[in-house]
Amino acid sequence: MGSVLLIEDDDRIRLSLSMALEDEGYTAHAVATAEEGLEAQRNDPADTVLVDLMLPGMDGFECIRQLRRVDDVPIIVVSARDDTHDIVAGLEAGADDYIVKPVAVKELAARLRALRRRARAVAPAVSVAAFGDLEILPEAGEVRLHGEPVAVTRTEFRLLCELAEHPGQVLSRQQLLQRVWGYEIGDERLVDVHVGRLRHKIEDVPGAPRHLVTVRGLGYKLQR
Amino acid sequence: MRVGLRTRVSAAFAVGALVLSACVSMVSYELARSTLFSERERTAVRATYFDAAVVDASLPDRTSDVGEVLRSLDTGVDRYVLLHRDDQWYSPSAGPAAGSAVPAALQEMTARGTAGAQRIRLDGQAALVVGIPLRSGVFYEVVSLSELDRTLQLLALVLTAVAIMVAGAGAAVGWYVTRHALRPLTTVAAAARNIADGDLDTRLDPDAEPDLAVLSASFNHMADQLARRIERDRRFAADVSHELRSPLQTLSAAVSVVDRRRDSLDPKAAAAVGLISDEVGRFQDLVHDLLELARSDRPADREPTGMRELVTRVCRARGLPDDLLEVEPGTPDTWPVERRRIEQALRNLLDNAVRYGGGPVAVRLGRSGDRHVIEVDDAGPGVAEENRTVIFDRFVRGPAAHARGGGDGTGLGLSIVARHAAAHGGTVSVGERPGGGARFRMELP
Repeated sequence: MGSVLLIEDDDRIRLSLSMALEDEGYTAHAVATAEEGLEAQRNDPADTVLVDLMLPGMDGFECIRQLRRVDDVPIIVVSARDDTHDIVAGLEAGADDYIVKPVAVKELAARLRALRRRARAVAPAVSVAAFGDLEILPEAGEVRLHGEPVAVTRTEFRLLCELAEHPGQVLSRQQLLQRVWGYEIGDERLVDVHVGRLRHKIEDVPGAPRHLVTVRGLGYKLQR
Repeated sequence: MRVGLRTRVSAAFAVGALVLSACVSMVSYELARSTLFSERERTAVRATYFDAAVVDASLPDRTSDVGEVLRSLDTGVDRYVLLHRDDQWYSPSAGPAAGSAVPAALQEMTARGTAGAQRIRLDGQAALVVGIPLRSGVFYEVVSLSELDRTLQLLALVLTAVAIMVAGAGAAVGWYVTRHALRPLTTVAAAARNIADGDLDTRLDPDAEPDLAVLSASFNHMADQLARRIERDRRFAADVSHELRSPLQTLSAAVSVVDRRRDSLDPKAAAAVGLISDEVGRFQDLVHDLLELARSDRPADREPTGMRELVTRVCRARGLPDDLLEVEPGTPDTWPVERRRIEQALRNLLDNAVRYGGGPVAVRLGRSGDRHVIEVDDAGPGVAEENRTVIFDRFVRGPAAHARGGGDGTGLGLSIVARHAAAHGGTVSVGERPGGGARFRMELP
């Protein structure tokens, strides 16, 4: 099924969650600190990382940023904090999803499956989509701005491909949640934060986007 | 009812202005009156002396025709002359005339040889009688003062009107001045309303109105205290939730591990695990709902939201058919609402319909006046009249809760709906659905 790295400082949660994840068929490696987690991911990379935000020493946000610096492994925040502020900060640090504790194991497993589906997803039909100075090459898994490659995560890339397949057409946050994250119902802040992150990478002026624009009350669209 | 400050101040201004203008009017009236009268008197006396000299000269002896002499005087319309001679009255009109117009006091005075004048009323009109003793008797002239009277009446009328207008102007000034004086209070009222609406950052500028600095300072102090208290409550809710969430996470994961192995447990243990598993689930819902409730007094963060899509999605996620949704003609596509909270409210209403009303039979979007309306109908037993308010209180559950055996709710669902509606400045109510069942109606601005 795949391997999961669980970074969680609460002993009991660590133990019970890793048992439950193993029941769901995952190989779970559980550590208590961000430092141990980074070390483990360097030596034996897991397919997915679950990380708590409040950790002793290095906190979850920094941990996510450091993981992101290495590669685009899918990261899910599992936190007891459910303030919008924390959720947005966690996603902005580079996480792909945010789950609030307590989460039912079945729900967690469903999210992990959705993430893996996304990671393995077949590339879309178009081979090159050009939006002015922005180029998306789904087959090569590459995004170029002014001819220069831009580093995006898998989720960001899927989001971009989904929008690129419908140039100039508005996709609602729920449609994007469904197509990119594979969720029937989910938190729309996921979409907003990922769009914000993408804008920092593909827009010359992220505050005044030219390509990835918001259509108030409806959703987002990609345009020249 | 107590009269308002503005009314009282305006009334005081009006009374003050009235008293002042009335005094001024009365003094000027009196001055004008006495001046005019003495002027008129002087003229009359002068004219009488002149006439008297003519009469005296024309009546050197007692044989001349008195009537003829008197008629020769040019008296005009507002004067007429009388001559008292040998106990007989003469006037320009032939024949003896009555001297009744001449008061007795004046007659006595002139009889002693002194000239005099007296004001009288003749046929209801003011007049002046001037008497001058002559060699051949006493000459009187009665001068009508009615014209002067009319002038004075007009003056009195004008002065009264002016006094009333000044009083009115005083009231207007009072109204205007108090409006300015009370403007800082209007600011305070607006700030208090803002705070009541959930904007806890509202403060007054203590330097804006030096006279009200104390009020501003204590208002700001109150707002600070309130904000601190709310923040403390909020933090408490967050802390409690965090403290509850971690053990719940352990419980939930551990129970799922045991639950998976239920088949290998003996029947009693398996039944117990089933119970724990259900209760952990309910506990999770409860913590979730409590937190939702604790945070629900924050004002709604509105943005245009496509409602048709929202309802369809929520229904689909609940496994309900799409044709449940009815949209009345004229309903706008997007509503200015906080999507997350309206979604939560709708979910709770649908759950409520499933749990207590045998499932929803319609979700209606419409418009009533300038408000947006969502209605959720069910075909259940309905809600008794006396319960229609209390069901929106916390921890109130309907009687059908156990009938379906589908698990009890948290008892917080409808109160969360009410709080979310209130956060939008809207309301929620329950009534009867035509044809039986309950109709929950949420009205949003």
